Amino acid sequence: MLLIKNLHANVAEEGRKILKGVDLTVGKGEVHAIMGPNGSGKSTLANVIAGRETYEVVEGDVLLNNESLLELEAEERAHQGVFLAFQYPVEIPGVSNAYFLRTALNANRKAQGLAEMDAAQFMTHIREKVKLLGLPQEMLTRSVNEGFSGGEKKRNEIFQMAVLEPALCVLDETDSGLDIDALQTVAHGVNSLRSPDRAFVVVTHYQRLLNFIVPDFVHVMMDGRIVQTGGRELALELEDKGYGWIEQQVAAQV
Amino acid sequence: MLLKQYERELDKVLARAEGSGADMPAWVKDLKAKGLRTHREHGVPTPKVEDWKYTPLRDFSERDWKVAEPGPAVFKAELPRYDAGSVRIVLVNGRYDRNLSETAPGVTTVSLRDAMVSHGALIEARLAQAGPDTTKTVDREIRPDVFTFGELNTASFEDGLFLMVEPGVEVAPLLEVVHVLCAEDGEPTIAFPRILVIVEDGARIRFTETYVTDGCNDSACVPVTEVFVGGGADVEHVRVQDQCACSTHIGLWQTRQQAESSYRSYNVCFGSKLGRLDQGIWIGGEQTVTRLDGVVCANGEQHLDNHTRLDHAVPNGNSFEIYKQVIDDSATVVFNGKIFVHQDAQKTDAKQTNQALLLSPNATIDSKPQLEIFADDVKCTHGATVGQLEDLPLFYMRQRGVPRDAAEAVLVYAFAAEVLELISIEPVRRALEKRLYSKLGIDLT
Repeated sequence: MLLIKNLHANVAEEGRKILKGVDLTVGKGEVHAIMGPNGSGKSTLANVIAGRETYEVVEGDVLLNNESLLELEAEERAHQGVFLAFQYPVEIPGVSNAYFLRTALNANRKAQGLAEMDAAQFMTHIREKVKLLGLPQEMLTRSVNEGFSGGEKKRNEIFQMAVLEPALCVLDETDSGLDIDALQTVAHGVNSLRSPDRAFVVVTHYQRLLNFIVPDFVHVMMDGRIVQTGGRELALELEDKGYGWIEQQVAAQV
Repeated sequence: MLLKQYERELDKVLARAEGSGADMPAWVKDLKAKGLRTHREHGVPTPKVEDWKYTPLRDFSERDWKVAEPGPAVFKAELPRYDAGSVRIVLVNGRYDRNLSETAPGVTTVSLRDAMVSHGALIEARLAQAGPDTTKTVDREIRPDVFTFGELNTASFEDGLFLMVEPGVEVAPLLEVVHVLCAEDGEPTIAFPRILVIVEDGARIRFTETYVTDGCNDSACVPVTEVFVGGGADVEHVRVQDQCACSTHIGLWQTRQQAESSYRSYNVCFGSKLGRLDQGIWIGGEQTVTRLDGVVCANGEQHLDNHTRLDHAVPNGNSFEIYKQVIDDSATVVFNGKIFVHQDAQKTDAKQTNQALLLSPNATIDSKPQLEIFADDVKCTHGATVGQLEDLPLFYMRQRGVPRDAAEAVLVYAFAAEVLELISIEPVRRALEKRLYSKLGIDLT
C-alpha cells in the first residue's frame, strides 16, 4: 500500500538535510512502528508523507497504491486516504470541532464522488465514534482543540481518524504526554480501527505504546535512514538496551 | 489655508444647505447656520490634517455631488431584515419613510422633521449635543476638523429619525433601522441621514442601523447618529455599513452615557469604496459598562477608516474595545483608537485590542492606538497586532481534507467571529456571520 523509495528531504528554507534515503514498504492491514532517538527524522518522515510544505523532497518517491503522493497537495493526499495524527494538535479558536470535522468529512466525500452529509446524518455517523473514544459531548461544540488537555487533544486526533476512516494512518508520537489511562483509551481507539484494508505507521520514541498497539514490524531510524527492521521483539530489545548498540552496529558497518 | 483645504468645496451641496432649514423652527435654522459656518471654516480636510493623514479625500472633494432627493417607492434590491419578528424603520436618502416603516408600542419612532415640532424642547436640548463636552475635555483641543462632516450634516440634513424610549420601558422587539441610498445611474448623489436616539433612565432597547445602497450606485452617505443613554439604561447598538463597492461613507456616531448604564456598540464595516467613521463615546456617569467593538472586512480597492474616541470623564467606568480587521487584495484599513482617562476618572478599567489580518502582500493597515491617561489609579491595557494566516493551522485543516481556500476562509472567519459572537441578538449575529462568509467567498452549503 505505502512504498517509500530512497527518500531524501530537507528543511525547505534552510536546506538542512533530515531524511537521507528512507526505504519502507507497508502492506495493507499492517502496523509498522518507527522508533529512533530524538532528531533521527521520524516526525519529519510522518510530515513528509502528509505533505507538509516546510520540508522539501529532493530525491526518491512516496507511493500510495502505486501512485506518487509527492505532486499532491496536503488536502489531495487526505482525499487519497492519508491521515496524520499530529504530535501537537493545532488549536483553532472560533471553529467548533463538529463544524470542522463535518467540513473535512464532506470535502473528502466530495473528492471521492460521494454525497455530502447534512448535520443530522453527520451526527448519526459520529455517535458511535464519540462513544468509542469516550469523548464528552461538549467537546464537539468547543473550538477545535482550544483549551483541551494533552490527553483530550490526542483523543480528538484519534476520534477524527475514526470519523474520516482513512486508508493510511500515520501517528506522530501520539503517546507523548499521555498518562497510562489516556494511552489505553487512545490505543483502544486505534485497535478498533485496525482492519485488513487499513495500514498504520506509528512513530514513537518509547516502546510503551507498542504494548497496547502491537506492531507487525518495528523499524529503527537513525540519522535520516532506517537502519534496522525486525518484529515486535526489536522494540522490547530497544526498551532493554537503548539505542546505543544499534548506533555502534551502524558505525561498524561504515 | 489651501494647505488644509481643497480648492473645490462641494459648491452645490453647500448652496442647498443654505436653504435646507427654511421651514424648520428658528433654533434649527440657527444650528444649521452654525454648522454651515463651521464646515466652511474647516472644509474637507487634506492629508495635512493629522486625523485624515491616511484617508485622502481629494476625489470626494472634487466630485460634482448632487444632494439626494426623496427616493423612489420601488427598489432594485430587497431591503435587508435580520429578524422576522423585528420592527423595521426605513430611511430613504436620509428621509423617514412613513409607508415602509413599522412602529412598536413603547418606543417613539418618527420623522425627525416632525419631531422638531412635536418634541421641540427635548430635541433642542440634545440635537448636535452628543459629542465630547468641550468644557471638560482633557486633550489640548478637540480638533474641529474631525467633526467637519458632522457639521456638514447638521447644515444639510432635511429629515431623519427620532427614536425615543420613555423612562423604565423595556422594548421587547429588535428595532432595525435601514438606511437605503438611491441614486440615478452615473449621477454622484450625496445624502445626509440624521438619527437622534434618546433612551431615558432605566429603559432598554436593542437596535441595528444598517446602511445599504439600492443596487450599485455612485452615492455618498454622510450620516450622523447621536445616542443618549440615560441613567441605568441598557442599550445594544449594532451599526452595519454594507454599501456597494463604488460608494462613499463618511459617518459620525456619538454617544453620551449616564451613570450605571450599559452601552454595547458594534461597528461592522463591510461596504463602500471609501469609508470613514468617527465614533465617540462620552462617559459622563459612574459605574458604566461600555463596549465599542468593530469588525472590518475590506477587499478589492476598498479603503476603510475607523476612528474611535472614548472619554472616561468620571470614575468607575469599564470599557472594552476589540477591533478585528481582515484585509485582502489591495485594500487599506485605518484604525485610530483614542482613549482619554480624565483626571477625575479614578478606578477606570479600559481594555483596547486591535488586530489586523493581512491576506495579501498588497493589503495595508495603519493602526494607531492612543491612550492618554490623566488619572493615577486606573487599569488601562491596549494591544495591537498585525499578522498573516499561520501556516500550521492551515496545514492541519488541509491534512484533514479541507481545501486550501476553504481552510483559509474558515480561519479568517474564526478571526473575525470573535467580535461577532459578542452580539447578543442571535438573528443579527447569524445574518452578519453569513454576510461575512459571502464576502469572503465561502460557500456555506
